[in-house]
Amino acid sequence: MIIDDTIYGYAVARVKAMETHLLDQGQFERMINSSTTEEALKVLSETGYSAAVAELDDVHNFENILADELSYIFNTVLKISPIPELIGMLALRYDIHNLKVLFKAKFLGVKSDLLIPVGSMDLSKLENAVSEDNFLLLPEKLRRAANVINEDFMINRDPQIIDLILDRVLYDQLIDAAREHNAPFLEGMFVRQIDLTNLKTLIRVKRMGLSRDFLARVLLPNGTLAVDRLTAMIEEPLESLISMLAISDYADLVGEGVREWSEKGSASTLEKLSDDYITTYLKEGKWVPFGVEPLVGYLWAKEIEIKNIRIVLVGKINRLPAESIRERIRDAYI
Amino acid sequence: MEGIEIAMLGVALAVGLAGSGSAIGIGIVGQSACGLISEDPDKFGQTLLLQALPGTQGIYGLLAGFLIMQDIGIVGEELVELTVWQGYAFLMAALPIAIAGFSSGIYQGRVLASSINLIAKRPEEMGKGIVYAVMVETYAVFALLATILMLFGIDL
Repeated sequence: MIIDDTIYGYAVARVKAMETHLLDQGQFERMINSSTTEEALKVLSETGYSAAVAELDDVHNFENILADELSYIFNTVLKISPIPELIGMLALRYDIHNLKVLFKAKFLGVKSDLLIPVGSMDLSKLENAVSEDNFLLLPEKLRRAANVINEDFMINRDPQIIDLILDRVLYDQLIDAAREHNAPFLEGMFVRQIDLTNLKTLIRVKRMGLSRDFLARVLLPNGTLAVDRLTAMIEEPLESLISMLAISDYADLVGEGVREWSEKGSASTLEKLSDDYITTYLKEGKWVPFGVEPLVGYLWAKEIEIKNIRIVLVGKINRLPAESIRERIRDAYI
Repeated sequence: MEGIEIAMLGVALAVGLAGSGSAIGIGIVGQSACGLISEDPDKFGQTLLLQALPGTQGIYGLLAGFLIMQDIGIVGEELVELTVWQGYAFLMAALPIAIAGFSSGIYQGRVLASSINLIAKRPEEMGKGIVYAVMVETYAVFALLATILMLFGIDL
């Protein structure tokens, strides 16, 4: 009788050891309180990022460090995972992100440098595909979505459609993959991300003054919040959305985040609370001794850490006050 | 089967099953330990101690097996003539440590793999991780006790 789940023993223990190198609250506090970008980088150079920081020639290129780190961590976890497919499906998020960036760059004519070198597809392949309108090398579902985007943009000239179409492909595939591999914890994360995306879409569509039909078309299926309940909200005031969700898990998030968005026009609080919401969910699986949960949790924790470093460094470069940086910092997983 | 063969089956079960429990348990802890050591080699000493703990079940099994072997003269001068019923009595006496040794070895290994995760983050809490594993050990000890009492009760 060999108990199957113990195949995760090695990977989970290794990830637990890697977790100890995540930046802690104190290190972020010091970065936030530093008076210059250089000082903030100095804090970073005392951590696992030291080698990369030492090679950094210009502060403005810090994105390279973050991209390298993300790619290194993702590949490490992928390599040690006993069932690589479960981690591999998360790579799709980066493919979709890169496609979004490339399409926007193409349609809006701006050169974007926010490509993430993680993902199941080679970046240069993706770049060529988008710039030459030749999607034959993409997997079938992505190829179809890319063609739809191309056609739609010719007619509507609306770059928002890029996000909406690609998000749909992404979450359709993620949910399918999670069900196929019987991974309820991952599915739970995707369902929550779908809910959060739908809430953001609802508010965005509402603010743009678009129709109910349009909203019904772009909301993602498979969430816990029923699509028809959400579409009904488009004609209602924001207050009724808040009261509709008052007894759901999203009460705090909507109460605080949505209110701020509608009052100040800034989605940053809602974005932060959404990330924290997923972090809280993933923390439930943090101490599973044999399973994919701590692996997914660690990858998320690393993504949040990278996001936080970006927030601090961008804030420092733009000389934002410490307080406004601090309120955007995401909660830590550890 | 003759009495001696039935008693030997008892020896085989006690040593074999309890030993398998230990082997699986130690194997589970070893996998986790390798994960930790690949990031933090300094913790080798600590992980080795944790990994050794599920080894006790195998020792208990061997002890029980040895006691039976001594009683029936496998180790010693000459074989004792056993009736079939005496043979069964030895087999029954071997079962507690065989069964509990097998299952407790595995579950102790699982607890200790979690303890490896614990010391990955908090090496100073290793003692508590051991205490949790010792709770599982209790039942292997009870089983060994039952086995020994039963052996003492067999009239030859």
